[in-house]
Amino acid sequence: MLWIQWDRATRGPVQQGCVVLLAALALACAMPSLAGSVTPTSIKYPIVPDGTHAGKDVEQPIEFPHDIHTAVNKINCLYCHNYARRSKVAGIPPTSKCMGCHSVIATDKPRIKQLTEYWEKKQPVPWKKVHDLPEFVHFPHEKHLKKFLFDNEELVQNLSVDTVAPVCAACHGDLRTMTVAKKVKPLNMGWCVSCHKANGGPGDCWTCHK
Amino acid sequence: MSGNEIKYFRPALGSGSPTQAAPLPSIKRRDFLKIMGWGTVGVTLAGCDLPTTVTLEEGKETVVSYLSPEEYVIPGIGVWYASACLQCQAGCGIHGRVREGRALKLEGNPDSPVNRGKLCQMGQSGVQTHYNPDRLSKPQLRKDGKLVDISWDEAWKVLEEKVGAAADKSAGARVAWFTGTVSGHQAVLIGEHLDALGSKRHFVHEAINNAVGRAVNQDVLGEAMPRLAIDKAKLVLSFGADFLGTWVSPVHFATEYAKFRSGARGVLVVAEPKMSLTGANADLWLAVRPGTEGELALGIAHALMKSGVSVPEAARAAVTAYEPAKAAEITGISVQRIEQVAALLKQHSPSLVLAGATVEGQEQGYQAASAVMLLNVMLGNVGKTIVSRGEFPFPQLKPRTGNTRDLVAFAAAAKDKALDVAFFYGANPVYTAPASLGLVEALQHIPFKVVLTQFPDETAAQADLVLPVASSLEDWGTHVADYQPEQGVITFQQPLMEGLYPGTPGVGDALLKLLKMREAQKYGAFNDYFSYLQNAVASLPEQYKAGGLTNKQLWEQTLQKGLLTVDSAPGSLKTNVSAITLGEVKTDAEYPLRLIPSPRLGLWDGRHANIPWLQEAPDQISKVVWDSWAELHPSTAARLGVQEGDVVEIASAHGAIKVKVYVFKGVHPDAIAVPLGQGHEDYGRYAKGLGVNPLKILSPAVDAKTGELALYSTRVKATRTGVHEELVKEGRDNTSQRGRKLVATITAEQFRRTEGV
Amino acid sequence: MSLDNLTKDWSRYRKGIEEGGFHNYQHRWGMAIDLNACIGCNACSTACYAENNLAVVGKERFSKGHYMHWMRIERYWDEDQAKAEFPTQGANFLPMLCQQCGAAPCEPVCPVAAAYHTPDGLNAQVYNRCIGSRYCSNNCPYRVRYFNFWSYYESAWPEPLNMQLNPDITVRDKGVMEKCTFCVQRIRTAKDAAKMENRKVKDGDVTTACAQACPTNAIHFGDLMDAESAVTKLWAKHQVKRHDDEGLPVSTQHKQNPALRGYRVLEELNTDPSVMYLERVREELA
Repeated sequence: MLWIQWDRATRGPVQQGCVVLLAALALACAMPSLAGSVTPTSIKYPIVPDGTHAGKDVEQPIEFPHDIHTAVNKINCLYCHNYARRSKVAGIPPTSKCMGCHSVIATDKPRIKQLTEYWEKKQPVPWKKVHDLPEFVHFPHEKHLKKFLFDNEELVQNLSVDTVAPVCAACHGDLRTMTVAKKVKPLNMGWCVSCHKANGGPGDCWTCHK
Repeated sequence: MSGNEIKYFRPALGSGSPTQAAPLPSIKRRDFLKIMGWGTVGVTLAGCDLPTTVTLEEGKETVVSYLSPEEYVIPGIGVWYASACLQCQAGCGIHGRVREGRALKLEGNPDSPVNRGKLCQMGQSGVQTHYNPDRLSKPQLRKDGKLVDISWDEAWKVLEEKVGAAADKSAGARVAWFTGTVSGHQAVLIGEHLDALGSKRHFVHEAINNAVGRAVNQDVLGEAMPRLAIDKAKLVLSFGADFLGTWVSPVHFATEYAKFRSGARGVLVVAEPKMSLTGANADLWLAVRPGTEGELALGIAHALMKSGVSVPEAARAAVTAYEPAKAAEITGISVQRIEQVAALLKQHSPSLVLAGATVEGQEQGYQAASAVMLLNVMLGNVGKTIVSRGEFPFPQLKPRTGNTRDLVAFAAAAKDKALDVAFFYGANPVYTAPASLGLVEALQHIPFKVVLTQFPDETAAQADLVLPVASSLEDWGTHVADYQPEQGVITFQQPLMEGLYPGTPGVGDALLKLLKMREAQKYGAFNDYFSYLQNAVASLPEQYKAGGLTNKQLWEQTLQKGLLTVDSAPGSLKTNVSAITLGEVKTDAEYPLRLIPSPRLGLWDGRHANIPWLQEAPDQISKVVWDSWAELHPSTAARLGVQEGDVVEIASAHGAIKVKVYVFKGVHPDAIAVPLGQGHEDYGRYAKGLGVNPLKILSPAVDAKTGELALYSTRVKATRTGVHEELVKEGRDNTSQRGRKLVATITAEQFRRTEGV
Repeated sequence: MSLDNLTKDWSRYRKGIEEGGFHNYQHRWGMAIDLNACIGCNACSTACYAENNLAVVGKERFSKGHYMHWMRIERYWDEDQAKAEFPTQGANFLPMLCQQCGAAPCEPVCPVAAAYHTPDGLNAQVYNRCIGSRYCSNNCPYRVRYFNFWSYYESAWPEPLNMQLNPDITVRDKGVMEKCTFCVQRIRTAKDAAKMENRKVKDGDVTTACAQACPTNAIHFGDLMDAESAVTKLWAKHQVKRHDDEGLPVSTQHKQNPALRGYRVLEELNTDPSVMYLERVREELA
């Protein structure tokens, strides 16, 4: 570690326990044998307001198959998008995370070869942004996940990609049915406000406007 | 490396073999940058939050992911790194907020005993020095009289030919370094480089310095820079020492000042010819005739003597000679005031008396500053508010403090054709040297001038080779401030982000490269300055590894804190007063006014004139922005027939400048004050062509004892030009509260009753 | 303010301001600025530029009053010394920023409710709602609202200066009014962090850029609803009270002991500022 991070609150290096914990949790969820295959119907999900968006098919540098990872391999959304739980942005997973599996799995597939090429050249993958908000909007992923996922007792009891995906789907659509992501919700102010009203979110302008 | 003395930390203590302990790390400096995923194409922003015109359309913007980030690097969350502020020489520690690979905001490091978590406006602006749009990105070589961009390979090749192994060995002694104040391992390596060349020519120049005061301290107290306990003083009497703004360690002194003003609340008396920021906070402000502060100090000493305070024998004659009535006549401060100040000093013990640039910058500056120091001796302040700081345990790392004597000496050496090669770093002498020194012409006699700089400044314009260096937020380093607070401290500088311009070396890296050209065997083992510093920390004496710290732990802990506290046992100060002789105060009928080239907290000596925030920050007193001005007393202005905004020509025997008038009562009628910092002929879009540089028309007179330029002694005349331009100020002419309770006031007596201790 | 206020109950909301503002604050962010400690050095002002993406407008536009000093240092000279040859004392420095009034004159005049009162007691400005009528700044007795007469993105942040821009706060465009927010982005971050730990924001979790930079610690920032916060204690010590506190009568200094230093600027206008100043102290030596 060349740069030493300084945590202003604790006057010490940042605690990294949570990272390890999350990784373990995500891994556990990724194992089909551990995750319940039946989704309890009583789990409360956010009430999603009406409204759709006819999204474009975005051409990505690598055609990432969300469906294979989630619907087939049952990998939890948060395993890759693990920043979402701790930061305002969900983030694109670092290439090292992809390589964690794909240095051994499916190395002969063309998309993986493409990925390995980026990795070996030490170049980040130039993904195209699909879901975006205006720069004057403050949207913290972590608080939304806390309310709808981590504070959702029953969901936490039954963590699996199939229980988590509907939470993400409120804004992103059901990625279990897509290869590369496509914008299917309006993500405009009226839509956000309807959702806040329906689910008891704050109504103060400055909560979201920055 | 065995057998070679690499001089850092330990050898000065004279025991053991310093460099055996630590194996050289194999990590390359740039490795940590590579893993952040921006490869070789300079800076690509990870994350997506750069506020700009954005499109929400899907697939139009790229979002760059990290390749393999550290665990703690999370998009959207700021990470703080400790480093060092290099905006002046005070040695403040900083914390820099970094998000998505960009340094965004600097704060003071709460662990630094220098600035205690606080940061002045110059420090805050460090990010604008770093991201400045006028930074140089490519080396330039003079070809056919013009500077042209060259590759880094060519630049290093040229250096190899001129000063490397390929150069004539005997010519080494004709190589010089000309720098601003440098300390820490940077100073060590500059010394090593000169040693390797067989040269002793290291010129250290700062236009804002306290070299004369250091000389007085050394002679009287036995320590050049003792600790000044402002917080312990019950009264501070400052003769032009702007300790809240531009003197020695402003942020540190401001934190002390806050303590000084709380509780029992000390009294601040300031005597100076032009009101400084410190003067603007005084309880009693005295407009002293410029160049007569020494006489005022002796007049006060005389009044003290009359009231029974004993005078050291050596100074008795001088004190006896200046009865208050005589001092009053010379200084323009009334007898009653002089006696009042003496009474206040007697009443408030311990006190602290400080001499600043207006005292020191005279032809008898040393004598005048000695007269001020005499007051401390007489009042028994030495040992109470002026305390020994002790010897810094690693003398090699101590700062080579800047002065103006070296500037004069350098100009002379150049004129004498004594130099073949000159390296410039951290100084801009072509801007700060008075024209009367003839520096620009003298530089023509140096065949090869290398300027290490971030910016196209005036000195770079004269260079034969310009080497752009990394900004302070991209570089490694160690720094030791001349003024050390209660705890001795080495401040550590680490990069906050990837360099903006690939190839621009850190200063330490450039020095190592130069050293390798000369002594490949000795320095070849160091991959870079980073490994050199790591090695230096590893070779610290055992006492720094208490509790079984490994070298790695010590290194990481030091970087985390951003500093290393060192032990230095305070000794005791002497009070070695010698005779003081003040000559006649000269007058000059042709040039009736004294020019005060007043320093500003903000633009400093002109080095921050390229920072837009600081150009747009109003001067603390005049509230002028983006300009120069001449402060004139209303009576002087009336005599000249000028008002605010009228342009006057200020002429000395050595040149003239034209500048707008600002009429202000806080300046003595015999003085005309023009702030430092503007009048750049180069230095990028924000600095170029604004205002005037008062340093240009200064006389080359020096202080008789120390040889320092007498920066405040130049006599000038002012004449109206008939031209009028609006002076751009914040708040326009809003200087009166017009009877409203905006700034309410309470008496100190009442304050002490309700909040005193 | 919720959208409900705007769409259904706008007139009642505006009247609420006239009647003394809100009484159910979640927080009320406040300051205490000690003029005995302030040295007028400008560190706060530059820190504000660095934190809040304030545009540098340049000399020409500055001369027209277009500057963006959310935090500025006013400097006054003593009036009783008007006839003296020299000032015998220093200046009177006054750090002036948005006072985040409890009954803010700027809020009810906004035709589009871009200026409104938050449940944290802040005078908010929603930039992308603002239409640039400038009524608010004309109605502000403290002159602390600043208008973007131009679009400064290109001129104030030529590359790579734009890389310094704080992503937590917008760059305001032409035609928009802007003002001090008490570093609302820092407050937001602190609140988000506290929420993630299921607790309330506690004293010391958040401070403004100006308070953090101030070399003499003249600026104190905190939650006036938090009885344990340092700023609440300072207000109490100097016997300055907010209007919403127990329905006190307005337009008065409430302090029993006139020797105490607390006061609010232009308090007689009944604006209920959230910034308490502590009087400057003068030695009587002249």
